[in-house]
Amino acid sequence: MTLRTLIRPATAALLASLAAAAPLAAATPEGAIAPADPASAPQDAVKTATPIKHLVVIFNENVSFDHYFATYPQATNPPGEPAFTALPHTPASDNLVRAHLLTNNPNFTNKANGSGASEPFRLDRTQAATADQNHAYTAEEQAYDHGRADLFPLYTGKGTPGGVGSFGTKGQVMGYYDGNTVTAMWEWAQHFAMDDNAYNGTYGPSTPGALEVVSGQTNGMKIVAASKNPSTLRAVSYYISDGQGGLTMINDVDPAYDPCSKPTDQVLMTGKNIGDLLNAAGITWGGFMGGFNLDTKNANDTTGCKRSTRSTVVSANVVDYIPHHNWFQYYTSTANPKHLRPSSVGAIGYSVESDGKTRDPANHEYGLKDFYDAVKAGNFPSVAYIKMPAYRDGHAGYSDPLDEQNGTAALIDFLMRQPDWKNTAVVIGWDDSDGWYDHAFAKVTNASFDPQADQLDGPGKCGTGKPLPGVDGKPANGRCAPGTRLPFLVVSPWAKPNYVSHVRVSLASVVRFVEDNWLHGQRLGGGSFDASAGSMMDMFDFRSGGKDPVLLLDPATGEPQAH
Amino acid sequence: MRSPSLRRRRSASTTGCATRTEAVVADLRRHDRGDDLRRHDGGDDLRRHDEGGDAAGVRIGRSVTRIGAAVLLAVLIAGAGDAIAPGANPHPVHLVRPAAAPFSAMAQLGHLVFFDKTLSASGKLACASCHDPADRYGPPNGLAAMLGGPTLKSQGVRAAPSLMYLERQPNFSIGPDNEETETVSLTQMAALGQDAPRAQKTAQTTAQTAVNMVPQGGLFWDGRADTLQAQALYPLLSPFEMDGGSVDAVAAKLQRAPYASRMVQLFGSAVFREPHLAVAEAMFAVARYQIEDPHFHPYTSKFDYWLEGKVRFTPAELRGYHLYNDPAKADCGGCHLDKPTSDGFPPMFTDYQYEALGAPRNPALSANRDPAYFDAGICGPYRTDMRTETQYCGMFLTPTLRNVATRHVFFHNGVFHTLQEVMDFYNFRDTDPQRIYPRAADGNVEKFNDIPSRYRANVDVTDPPFNRTLGENPAMTPQDEADIIAFLQTLTDGYHPALRDP
Repeated sequence: MTLRTLIRPATAALLASLAAAAPLAAATPEGAIAPADPASAPQDAVKTATPIKHLVVIFNENVSFDHYFATYPQATNPPGEPAFTALPHTPASDNLVRAHLLTNNPNFTNKANGSGASEPFRLDRTQAATADQNHAYTAEEQAYDHGRADLFPLYTGKGTPGGVGSFGTKGQVMGYYDGNTVTAMWEWAQHFAMDDNAYNGTYGPSTPGALEVVSGQTNGMKIVAASKNPSTLRAVSYYISDGQGGLTMINDVDPAYDPCSKPTDQVLMTGKNIGDLLNAAGITWGGFMGGFNLDTKNANDTTGCKRSTRSTVVSANVVDYIPHHNWFQYYTSTANPKHLRPSSVGAIGYSVESDGKTRDPANHEYGLKDFYDAVKAGNFPSVAYIKMPAYRDGHAGYSDPLDEQNGTAALIDFLMRQPDWKNTAVVIGWDDSDGWYDHAFAKVTNASFDPQADQLDGPGKCGTGKPLPGVDGKPANGRCAPGTRLPFLVVSPWAKPNYVSHVRVSLASVVRFVEDNWLHGQRLGGGSFDASAGSMMDMFDFRSGGKDPVLLLDPATGEPQAH
Repeated sequence: MRSPSLRRRRSASTTGCATRTEAVVADLRRHDRGDDLRRHDGGDDLRRHDEGGDAAGVRIGRSVTRIGAAVLLAVLIAGAGDAIAPGANPHPVHLVRPAAAPFSAMAQLGHLVFFDKTLSASGKLACASCHDPADRYGPPNGLAAMLGGPTLKSQGVRAAPSLMYLERQPNFSIGPDNEETETVSLTQMAALGQDAPRAQKTAQTTAQTAVNMVPQGGLFWDGRADTLQAQALYPLLSPFEMDGGSVDAVAAKLQRAPYASRMVQLFGSAVFREPHLAVAEAMFAVARYQIEDPHFHPYTSKFDYWLEGKVRFTPAELRGYHLYNDPAKADCGGCHLDKPTSDGFPPMFTDYQYEALGAPRNPALSANRDPAYFDAGICGPYRTDMRTETQYCGMFLTPTLRNVATRHVFFHNGVFHTLQEVMDFYNFRDTDPQRIYPRAADGNVEKFNDIPSRYRANVDVTDPPFNRTLGENPAMTPQDEADIIAFLQTLTDGYHPALRDP
């Protein structure tokens, strides 16, 4: 049994209110002693396998590793743009420079790409607004073309247009940014740790990626409302039969019963997610999403499901909350379909209200401001999944790397100024590649043989061998793994500085880290990838004692702030 | 994939309009009863909340946009109490103009491309030739269409639009808003539009019309380009405009241009190995120049300053402003929206939608010598992806009215040359069509003679003042028209409030 060492919300609120006053010791109902350090959150008293007491997963949207790091750490540095200069001894990573693929790229030489054929090319900072590429499960398999990674223009290079000032070409899918646009990402990479061998759990877009990072499982989908049939080559949809009488989600669909969801197509997931395990262990956690609080009214008078923010970069008003990005809303046990508000700031992260017994209405799902409020009040949840309001999530078409940088850097800036930065780790992850070109195909580790959806190795084929079990324990189709390569960064005083890890990890490695750090290595079971996902631990150095490095960046430019 | 509820560009502005409309009516009635008119406590702080995503969630008491220009007008007409000077805006608003910054290297490159005549076959035409900075980036003359081609003798087919105020133009779409564009094809949306009823559009009911299945957004008179980058390429390659030949030919010229080294710096040494990429990058640079140079969107008209409370209308301008928004009169505001957006951006004077207005055929266009030729806008012939969507034949984009008083040529076919002619068209098209259209040999007035008869049902006969019938009194008097023109002249940029209205 896990020690129930958390103090209850009432105590947390008390702690917070007294944080500036004299040190105190507080007893939990179970009798554990909370820390007397006024500068620490009660979560610091929770026993963990590493010095990390708070994991903050900033889960952004739609970037492949090469799209952001193709030439890292070498930036063009044109006049007038934020400059990036590599620190001495910055390690190489597996990108287009090292792979010698900036020219004579197979996506240029393979005539099958037709007029879209293109070499990789630099996207300028003024080209932050781009078109959205095709990132459907099947299209991504087709782009990887038996592992040759040479049909991206043909299969994923079909963008819906962005704003009036956006950039687009037929071969745009081959475009990459450098340190003059994704400046903050490059700065974090060279001061903290990055993994260049990180992959999505399976092929496909946002919702499968969101499920992977909380559960490692896309099988076990249950339809609540459906206007579409299983996905075929001609008529793409969000699910297929798993071959065992169940369903696997392979593309985007909204969570059931959420008033912001499209009424015609809504689903639930029947498996477990990491929130279930954390609840059982009494560990505080939450999903915090921009736009989730439907009561908030923005300065432009929008509210509810239609609350929106203007992005001047993409020249559009973008709705803040996107239901199909809401990880925990797909599981009955962790859903807050009516977007109910937490009973108090002190209750944020907890399953119950401050009385210790009434079930808190929010059920671990909150708005983004709730995260700021809770941390400010000294109630810093052990595990926090963060989703920026959509215009800042980085998704091409409606968001962009500059707005993404702004939101991400502002949050990390906030965290670095907290007393608990000393035991915090931030993971910056992405939910899918958007279909952007990445050269690093990874051999299939979990096969799938759906006659329509799977096309990597020819019709009906993605890899070889027996697929891993789905939630019912039988081999399930629709989880061809790994998917596309994604950037993966750890920003923490405990991260190895200027380090590029080459350990294979996937989105389920985040689940595994939570399990290893807080839950004694417990696993979700039910066919979750958490059991086979690599460990993120290579990105940390827990012997050094945590040097508490802080790197404050200008959110607008990504450049280090003058001290 | 994208959320279904992204890109609700129109709904944001129209939601505010409903409130505004009700408020206008209430205000006018109250005025009739002599009630206190100063209940609109305008001038509230319009703060943009910007920290940490929705971390702010500021609740503001009243945003300026809810007050709405027409409400302001109602107060003005009412005489508005002693504190307000005649013609002044009693509820000044704060307008958010595009931020000014030094040109990026990209915009500097685009500036050079924009003025480069060597890209044309004649060597005499640049983008700036037909989009002349001295003429508000519109045509420098009153020709129905500009002349181009290899010897500058080929006439174009449409009046050159201005390149100003396109920085907020949404993508082309069909429907109540753009939300379905990710999962539903344009063809599917068009199919829905074939049967959908259409609500009447007036200056006071723009919220209701948000459900109309109408085309909106895009660039050119027919919306066939979505981005400024894509737009720039069309005239460059058009045989009767710059006539650049082919993408390969343009790329070769770019490679010889004095700014070629800048392109290599920005796009890499391989850029000229791929002609399509080189041309795309050059066109993007032009687009970026248009975005970054504030001359393309200065928002320095008298009307902007009036909104901000810095200047006063003359009596004629004030009357014109009222008529502009009066559904019983000109009703211009039904399509040429004059309200700041919910984000505090200055009004754009267009709803970005398309209308078939049935302007008379222009014999000055040489293409019109062929009686079988018709320019049907969205459904062709220059736009090619909507040819079968005949319910949109004859529809053209509603342009901004900013700087309209400086133009020498109006409507897609350049048939009108003065604002007076344009006002007469709106005023007499249905009540006295013989004043607008020629007569056929049989003596009948050839109404809508620039639209094939099978498509004439597409012409707008519901939105005022186009809801009148033959012989009815026209909506406007000559004085009304003159006042509206006086108001339209307040939309010209470059007004200096400090100099003229101390």
